[in-house]
Amino acid sequence: MNAIIQTTPPALSEYYSETKCTWCDGCGNYGIWTAVKYALVELNLHPWQVCLCYDVGCHGNGSDKIQGYRFGGLHGRVIPFAAGAKLANMKVPVIAFGGDGATFSEGVGHLIHALRSNYPITFVLHNNANYGLTTGQASSLTLQRQPMNTSPNGIPERTLAIMDFIFSLQPTFVARGFSGDIKLTTRILKAAIQHSGFAFVDMLQACPTYNHFATHEYLLERYFDANTDGHDPSDLQQAKTLASQAHDRIACGILYQREDIPDFYKQLIPRRGVETTCAEEVRKYDVSEYWKGLV
Amino acid sequence: MPRMSIKIVGASGQGINSIGALVAKGLKRSGYCVFGYREYPSLIKGGHASYQLDISNERVRSTETKVNVLIALNHHGLELNMEELKERGIVLHVTPGWQFPERHQKLITEQGLRVIFFPVDEVLARLGARTILSNVLLTAFLWSMFDQDVDALKSLVGEKFAKKKDLLELNMRCVDEGYFFVDPGHGKISVPLPPPNEEFSSHLLVTGSQAMGLGAIHAGVRLYAGYPMTPSSPLLSFIADLENMTHMVVKQAEDEITAAQMVSGAMYMGTRALTATSGVGFDLMSETVSLNAMIENPTVFVLAQRPGPATGLPTWTAQGALLQAVNSSTGEFARCVLSVSNSQDAFDLMPVAFNLAEEYQISVIVLTDKQIAEALYTQEPYDLQKAEIRRGNLVTDSEKLKALNSSDRYDPNAEGGISPRWLPGSDAATYCAEAEEHDSMGTMDETAGSIRSQMEKRMRKFHKLKAALPQPRVDVTNHDGNGADWMGERDEIELLVIGWGSTKDVIEDILRSGELRARRIAHLHYTYLWPLRTEMLEKMAKRSKRVVLVEQNYQSQLGMLIRMECGLDIPDKILKYDGRPFFYDELLPSLLMKFADKTKDRRGFVSAATKENNPRGPEPACSSS
Repeated sequence: MNAIIQTTPPALSEYYSETKCTWCDGCGNYGIWTAVKYALVELNLHPWQVCLCYDVGCHGNGSDKIQGYRFGGLHGRVIPFAAGAKLANMKVPVIAFGGDGATFSEGVGHLIHALRSNYPITFVLHNNANYGLTTGQASSLTLQRQPMNTSPNGIPERTLAIMDFIFSLQPTFVARGFSGDIKLTTRILKAAIQHSGFAFVDMLQACPTYNHFATHEYLLERYFDANTDGHDPSDLQQAKTLASQAHDRIACGILYQREDIPDFYKQLIPRRGVETTCAEEVRKYDVSEYWKGLV
Repeated sequence: MPRMSIKIVGASGQGINSIGALVAKGLKRSGYCVFGYREYPSLIKGGHASYQLDISNERVRSTETKVNVLIALNHHGLELNMEELKERGIVLHVTPGWQFPERHQKLITEQGLRVIFFPVDEVLARLGARTILSNVLLTAFLWSMFDQDVDALKSLVGEKFAKKKDLLELNMRCVDEGYFFVDPGHGKISVPLPPPNEEFSSHLLVTGSQAMGLGAIHAGVRLYAGYPMTPSSPLLSFIADLENMTHMVVKQAEDEITAAQMVSGAMYMGTRALTATSGVGFDLMSETVSLNAMIENPTVFVLAQRPGPATGLPTWTAQGALLQAVNSSTGEFARCVLSVSNSQDAFDLMPVAFNLAEEYQISVIVLTDKQIAEALYTQEPYDLQKAEIRRGNLVTDSEKLKALNSSDRYDPNAEGGISPRWLPGSDAATYCAEAEEHDSMGTMDETAGSIRSQMEKRMRKFHKLKAALPQPRVDVTNHDGNGADWMGERDEIELLVIGWGSTKDVIEDILRSGELRARRIAHLHYTYLWPLRTEMLEKMAKRSKRVVLVEQNYQSQLGMLIRMECGLDIPDKILKYDGRPFFYDELLPSLLMKFADKTKDRRGFVSAATKENNPRGPEPACSSS
């Protein structure tokens, strides 16, 4: 996170936006949007201290419904943009948001390398298991054979087991939230933002218009807070078991966390001992030292 | 200009480059200008490769097709390169018992070539040295042919092996063996060089990629993200090799899309960041160019050209990406396209590119090509005073920040379309850098009025930029020995040569040749290619008897842009699209032929490619429509 904590705590109202919400009735985005604001306020962060990066999709339409330095980008590309932003100024917490279409189809390569690199950013997956904004096509997280737009017979492909995938890449932070539980989700987001490396947050959310299989009620009946049940996030084996459990009961909370692996920036040998940020270092440099060997 | 050339040929990985680099450095230190040119296949080991040095005591920045000395490290060179020798040229080879075919024997007799066999294996065996040291033997022999001081070479070799003391002694013995070798058939052979010019001894020997890397660091670039692709990779390597000294963030990304996005994020956050790629790599980056246009995020992309389509010719050169740079990616928006032409402006244009990007809040695409990226230049040490760091309408003052409103960020009424920009982490009102069409604070807005005013805001930057960019540079022949004085306001120009990028240096070398020096020739060289300024071109074309475009592409892409922008059609073109740069002794006769043509048809020389391009038959040299 690295932000300098302010002495005057921010008011929730600092995050208010004049822009009206346009999400469907019952959309999970309302809950996630609310929890993000709570988390930032509870971390004593003013809007000018944070950078919020949005991918394309219904969640991306939230880029103008909150305050903060925001970015609304291209489909699937939010992770590398956010990583580049963070590396240029380590003092600003950077949170990236992306849907399941962007993250597990168009931009899946970026996710792999973000986990591998352990970029010091938070990534929130808006997981409604379909392409909402393009009117309800199947994503790689939609159930196989579930009829959707453009796939009246359901898609022939198998559903991606995202948690097996994530854990195969040796993550340093994995959590699962649910848009219907603001308190739980706020707690997860705060921990994710404070995590030093790449924090992956799978945020389960309803899509009342297009997702008729994992509805709000469906999720509400099945989710539970694994941490209050006694799950210790340092227990990798139990974390994997809980994470892949997504049918009868869905384990939420901070599933896994380790802080002993340095983030990408800390791994950069040339930056060791450098106190300034790249953003602060823009000036004219004398390069005559570097051409000595060329004479 | 007195000039001579040597060419080292053999298999990739045989040490061609190390001989070339050592000789180049030695001669440069002795006071010669050298220009190095490499040809090699896209392989690591094997395949036929070459390293040519053109040498003079005046500035030389071009390559001849005919050489004075050929050094063949294997018999393929003897098979493939014999025709490239000048009269009385020297062939130095290492293949025992080589029998030249009849046609080559004839060539040797007719041209008076001198063939020298250097018994490398025998000498190495005697010294107990490894094969790789044959390079030192041959370098030392060359050195003696040039009548250069053996101690100068020893001090160079000493520097190279300063950290490998155990190898040093053997290397020195190889220097002595090579230097004092005398071919029994020819006796001592001498290839006299013109008197040296001390000025060059303090110059740098740099490739265009190194020049660009130095320029980027000088310009304040603090983050570099790239994905390897020839001929942009040497820039990535150069920057990476310096990272412990520069303390820069260097990231080898998982693909070009990532590199482009990371750099964009870093620029949004307020540092200066750079990426470079080529051809299809830039195709992948192009969506990000469009993104930056919409969020008005300054960015700089280096596009190093090689022949396409597709992966094309990875290790060869071209100027085929001009239209790609100008037109790639969706939507109508302002961007700037520049092209470097040699090691001087590869350095100078990096601060310029970043200043333009930040001043106009646009993407700047800097074109280079394989020829510039990998050629070796004798370069005057760079002036570190002249560049400025200009960041445009970037607000950093805390009082001014406090006074900002969110709606200032994309204020449609901003002068010249350039609104204030401030960085995440600044204690100020916040905004959204939004890829969808948006209003003044970045809120998505689909109302017709707002769409129009934002489009007009962004496009005003294009018009402002066009008016501010420098005109193309004019270089004229020293017609009467009094410099450029002959070119008064109304004097007729016998030939107007128009080019951009890497054609600059070869054209300049040619215009200083004895054959053309006395002619009234003007060379118009474009560095700033988009937005394209044509006022000076139109004015000069009207005064010119003949106008010719020189480009390294099939369609004459600059010619297409000129026609698009001002209607001026220049049918006479010298085009080359075979992966090789224009060679000195190839372009010179092509330009000379322009004067041989006395007919009313002022097209002059028409290459095969031009004929195909111009099925309409004879036309005046330039016609305004």
